[in-house]
Amino acid sequence: MKSEKLRPYLMLAPVLLVEGWLIFAGICTALKQSLGHFPVAGLNGYSLKYYIAILKKPDFLRSLAFSFYVAFVSSVLAVVLGIFLAVLLVHSPRKENLSNYLYRLPIIVPHTIAVLLVLSMLSSSGILPRLLYVLGMTDAECAFPSLVFDKAGIGVILTYLWKGAPFATFMVYTILKNINPGLFEAALNLGASKWKAFFSVVLPLLKPAIIPSFLFLFAYAFGSWEVPYLIGPTYPRTLPVLAYTYYVSPELSERPYAMAVNIVMVAVSFLLIYIYSKQMTRARW
Amino acid sequence: MERRFVNLLLYVAIGGILFPIVVLMLWAFAREWPWPHLFPTGFSVRGWIHLFNPTTGALPVLLYSVMLSSLVAFITVTLSLPAARALAFYDFRGKRALEIFILSPMVIPTTAVAMGIHVNFIRIGLADTFWGVVICHLLPCIPYGIKILTGVFEALGDRIEQQARVLGAGRLKTYLYVTLPLISPGLITASIMAFVVSFSQYFLTFLIGGGRVMTFSMLLFPFIQGGDRHLSAVFSLAFIGTVLLWVFALEVLFRRWVKKGQYFYM
Repeated sequence: MKSEKLRPYLMLAPVLLVEGWLIFAGICTALKQSLGHFPVAGLNGYSLKYYIAILKKPDFLRSLAFSFYVAFVSSVLAVVLGIFLAVLLVHSPRKENLSNYLYRLPIIVPHTIAVLLVLSMLSSSGILPRLLYVLGMTDAECAFPSLVFDKAGIGVILTYLWKGAPFATFMVYTILKNINPGLFEAALNLGASKWKAFFSVVLPLLKPAIIPSFLFLFAYAFGSWEVPYLIGPTYPRTLPVLAYTYYVSPELSERPYAMAVNIVMVAVSFLLIYIYSKQMTRARW
Repeated sequence: MERRFVNLLLYVAIGGILFPIVVLMLWAFAREWPWPHLFPTGFSVRGWIHLFNPTTGALPVLLYSVMLSSLVAFITVTLSLPAARALAFYDFRGKRALEIFILSPMVIPTTAVAMGIHVNFIRIGLADTFWGVVICHLLPCIPYGIKILTGVFEALGDRIEQQARVLGAGRLKTYLYVTLPLISPGLITASIMAFVVSFSQYFLTFLIGGGRVMTFSMLLFPFIQGGDRHLSAVFSLAFIGTVLLWVFALEVLFRRWVKKGQYFYM
């Protein structure tokens, strides 16, 4: 009887050990060093001075705001476009057609290649400026506004969008195709407009797909290093790029700043996890 | 009329997603592509020669990388199987908290924990090693394995397994001949996701592997960063092609293992 009770824990043990080890090793070391305990560099004792220091740096605050902006805009757009594409797929007359497979291609393409794709479209030698020139809408290579390495982060956002929208579609599509079309028609019969019926009947049913996709995409865009490093502006940098800059600095005394930035990112992700678990409870109820 | 409109929009959307890849294919065979031409003005296979040339060592890195990520996928699925089963079929104290903890690496930025892991791995001698990279790749891969397999187990239920048990099959036999074949579509999906996530990792590999553990992502990155469009296009296509080939090979292997008609799918 007792062994039966222990059984699920034993089944979970290997995964818990591996993940627990890596997460705790990662977070505890970062926390320790961010509090200024870093004996190798001759730093001992714990204090909050590095957190206070980064909070006073305009660099850090710009980075924090920029990371939030990029993550928020890219994930909202990805979810909206993702829903749109899922609706198109469901309404397409041939359900199991090729489009159903083709749209998923970005899911297996890594972010670094997505960066290359955006560069080949939008950089000053990309396809879009060429098209505009051929159509006579711009008259020189430099006349095209810079959409990559730009301060508005358009290149970064579009990269996340190209990767994220199909992912959101994938999540939404599974639920959408199982929704009883009668619900939508009932709303129409009761006098709702098409838009009204979509927003107040279909969209709430899609919530279990929309919220996790949004949180996941937001978290990824907020915490990933490759994309802003390759296609983002040199200023402002996103938080991961900022942390990395501190981390690889030859001055070991810069290390606590890197770790403090990391802990801020971890704190934001904990907030997202909290929102997710709240949402899950409500969904279960 | 409206159907046509839906189809038109759908084709525009799919076209928008795929168009950059078509441009990538053009770049992969372009010798030069001066502004403002819409098509390359010269044809070249320089990048492909670079890729297949034994002296550049690109192909061995590709094979090494495939092996590393296959291993990561295998370990991920092996560890995730019992865990996903526990989450799908058992009710126990602290289940929700454990579930959230297990899925948390999907949201916790790897960049942020990677540096702490790196410091630790240096201390215990796992930094710059093959196994160090394999272990740290498990962190972003396991949540996908668990999520996919839990869903499959939940959809399947455990009634068929119980029937096998009632009919006299032992635990191991039930697992090997009933459970595994029944969930094989989920096993394939979980392996594919884990493989793709591992194969795509750049930052973790580069930090933990310290440049000693060379994966294909690490070969590709400098080309994109350096701006050699032709070479980066060739290597990107090789990357995508390898993933597709791996997926295809896996499906064939699994289909041979689960012989047609012998088992029924849910």
